[in-house]
Amino acid sequence: MNGSAARANASNDTEYILEVRNLKKYFDIRSGLLQRVTGYVKAVDGVSFKLKKGTTMGLVGESGCGKTTVGRTILRLSEKTEGDVLYKGSDIYAMSKSDLRRLRPKIQIIFQDPYSSLSPRLPVGEIIGEAVRQHKIVPKEEYEDYLDKIMASCGLQPYHKDRYPHEFSGGQRQRICIARALALNPDFIVCDEPVSALDVSIQAQIINLLKDLQKQFNLTYLFISHDLSVVEHISDTIGVMYLGNIVESGSKEDIFDNPLHPYTKALFSAIPIPDPTVKMNRIVLQGSIPSPANPPSGCKFHTRCSYCMERCKSEAPAAVDSGNGHIVVCHLYGADGKPIAELQKP
Amino acid sequence: MKNDLFEPDVIAGDEIALDSEQRIKVLSPSLLVAKRFFRNRLAIAGLVIISAMFLFSFVGGWVSPYGEDQVFMGYDVMSKDYAGVTVNKEYRYVEKQEGAMPSLLRANFILALNSGKTQFESNGLVYDIVGEGEEFYTVKQNGRELALVSKKIFDAKSAGTVFTYEFRYLAEKAMQPGADTQFEYRGKTFSVEADEGSTSIYTVDGAQKSLYAIVSDFIVNPVSDDVFLSLEFKAAIQNAVNNKKDTFVFTDAKGRQQEYTILRKDFQFFVKKQTSTRLIQIYEGPGKKHLLGTDANGMDLMTRLMYGGRISLIIGFIVILLENTIGVILGGLSGYFGKWLDNLLMRLVDIFNCIPHLPLLIIIGAVMDSMHVNPKTRIYYLMFILGFLYWPGTARMVRGQILSLREREFMTATEAAGLTVSRRIFKHLVPNVIPQLIVLATMGLGDIILMESTLSFLGLGVKFPYASWGNIISAVSNVYVMTNYWFVWIPAGMLILLTVLGFNFIGDGLRDAFDPKMKR
Repeated sequence: MNGSAARANASNDTEYILEVRNLKKYFDIRSGLLQRVTGYVKAVDGVSFKLKKGTTMGLVGESGCGKTTVGRTILRLSEKTEGDVLYKGSDIYAMSKSDLRRLRPKIQIIFQDPYSSLSPRLPVGEIIGEAVRQHKIVPKEEYEDYLDKIMASCGLQPYHKDRYPHEFSGGQRQRICIARALALNPDFIVCDEPVSALDVSIQAQIINLLKDLQKQFNLTYLFISHDLSVVEHISDTIGVMYLGNIVESGSKEDIFDNPLHPYTKALFSAIPIPDPTVKMNRIVLQGSIPSPANPPSGCKFHTRCSYCMERCKSEAPAAVDSGNGHIVVCHLYGADGKPIAELQKP
Repeated sequence: MKNDLFEPDVIAGDEIALDSEQRIKVLSPSLLVAKRFFRNRLAIAGLVIISAMFLFSFVGGWVSPYGEDQVFMGYDVMSKDYAGVTVNKEYRYVEKQEGAMPSLLRANFILALNSGKTQFESNGLVYDIVGEGEEFYTVKQNGRELALVSKKIFDAKSAGTVFTYEFRYLAEKAMQPGADTQFEYRGKTFSVEADEGSTSIYTVDGAQKSLYAIVSDFIVNPVSDDVFLSLEFKAAIQNAVNNKKDTFVFTDAKGRQQEYTILRKDFQFFVKKQTSTRLIQIYEGPGKKHLLGTDANGMDLMTRLMYGGRISLIIGFIVILLENTIGVILGGLSGYFGKWLDNLLMRLVDIFNCIPHLPLLIIIGAVMDSMHVNPKTRIYYLMFILGFLYWPGTARMVRGQILSLREREFMTATEAAGLTVSRRIFKHLVPNVIPQLIVLATMGLGDIILMESTLSFLGLGVKFPYASWGNIISAVSNVYVMTNYWFVWIPAGMLILLTVLGFNFIGDGLRDAFDPKMKR
């Protein structure tokens, strides 16, 4: 306990490249003649996690749970409502605009849709190199060579520089997006579902490319995806989100081998196993995800949870550590992280 | 050995396979658009029309031998009044000394004569009327001659001859029937010969006789003061009048023959002469000299159409430029910064959209008329006013485009890359708005040209002496021109039609070409 407390206090420690504390992002709901704020969509409702340098954190959850919003809010691409985002110990939201602009190259993002994330009227070389020149990442003389080198490392040929995005396939475009992010020599990249729009064979190429680049440049990824097999392949740690909250987080092995939260269990039971002899034990969740504009009281998952208790409906559970940094947010687990009773399917 | 002919653009050291991607020709988006555009037949037609219009307007005005407001004059033979002839019915007075017979005396004389008296009183003095011959009297007072009264008109052969009292007296005496036809005056011998209706006076020098004057009942006066009518000419007129002829031919001293016509009206005769006159050639039909004829002002229509096209096209382009500059700046600000600025600017756009354009332009035109704005300045004002009226459409479009582009991921990517605001706007947003802008502008050009023509037609736009297709067409407001002089307004109408059609074809072609979904 002593060690972990010390570690928590030492958030300035270079070991952690990114720390997110109780991050909230509410979107206003306006209605009526005067467009008064009548409510909020609680897209992100208190998310906290830490990220070690050189590791990948996978953020999973069904669509609409706020994964993408977490990614964007971390990069201050949309303003937070509450909480702190610390990059190497300095608060991103406390920075002035010019400081933030100087920091931008260090924290990059790769978008889900490689079609809309490239300006159709600029040649690829310009798309990748524009910011390199502005931030003077390399001296002018080395610029062309640097661009070729970055493009080569992303599997692009130098002659692609003069071409326009419409001439590339989805996979190539995603490589361009990766090259654009990589060219700025970043430490941390938010990968916002980078492979969701691609077909499976290309997915593997891109994932492997990302892994190679991580090794080569010692990158840190926040890998947002709803695809569990992809997340399993690339992540070191995993956070499972449900309706704006992380309900369970821990190392990849802990989460996949020993999911604790009922939602995680249901989610993982949906992974198809390519073996017809194995009997699938799917936990089918009832209903759909509630509206984040009007989230359920208590534990947000209680409306769909098969282990739902009276307590869950009124009292929001706290995060408990079941050991080895495996954190779960559920009333089924006591303060020591051990289950309060043997879980049985009701 | 490397063969350069077959290995274009090879990066050193790389081997290129025949089916390599590097061999595929790289087309930028603009080239792709051009390719698609040139596949569209209507767009090509539009392009040809507009190019022809440009050649016609800009090169044409230069090539044309005539000026924009050059008035063409021609000579035409016309019968014009040359002289007037009156038969004299009144007594004329020849005073012995100037002022000897004032008008009161003359009136008293006529009264006395009409009542058959030989004496009359005026101002307490008694005057005698002495009958010297037929309609020929002298007025005396106390035996002293005052004046001679007669109905005869004396026309001298040479200009400047003055007939004195004595000469008139002697001449008229000699003309009386039975009198001696010769008389002497100031050492010269004159003889009087009566012709039919007139009498000639000759100077006699031995056997030599020369015409000195003609006495008749006719007063012949030239219509213009600077013409001196020779005695021969007067004689010819008198001869013709006496013989009741309608025309006569007179050969002047220089041997030129000229026919004259005589018009009779009561005791007046008008002598008309066929003269060539300078005329403005209005509404001259199409011909070799004027390919499309001339207009109401005698100006070459073809040339005016060329200059008119120049003005119409220049106005169109400048208005579009102005409109798009305002529209892009305000629409861009509105779309990019949003919030209250967007609200403010869009309400401004709403207000502008509420202004009825035609009535406003009519009012402005009338104000400019009353302020006597000169025609050239008027053209500039017109451009500014049109540009100022038409920007809201562009602003709306740009705002909408930027609103949608701003939310696209590539804009988020530029923010994540920490690019400056100006770079984001001008390198990422604007190039993506330009296709729609070009289409809108091309379509708008036709509208502007139509609007300009409408205004010029109504007399509010481009004014004389500057030509514009609209003010050339405005000639049809005269029904006679519309029905009789088709060459005045049909060509201008066709040019407007073709130009607007051309711009619309190009606009349509560009819109299709810019639309990436159109894979034609």
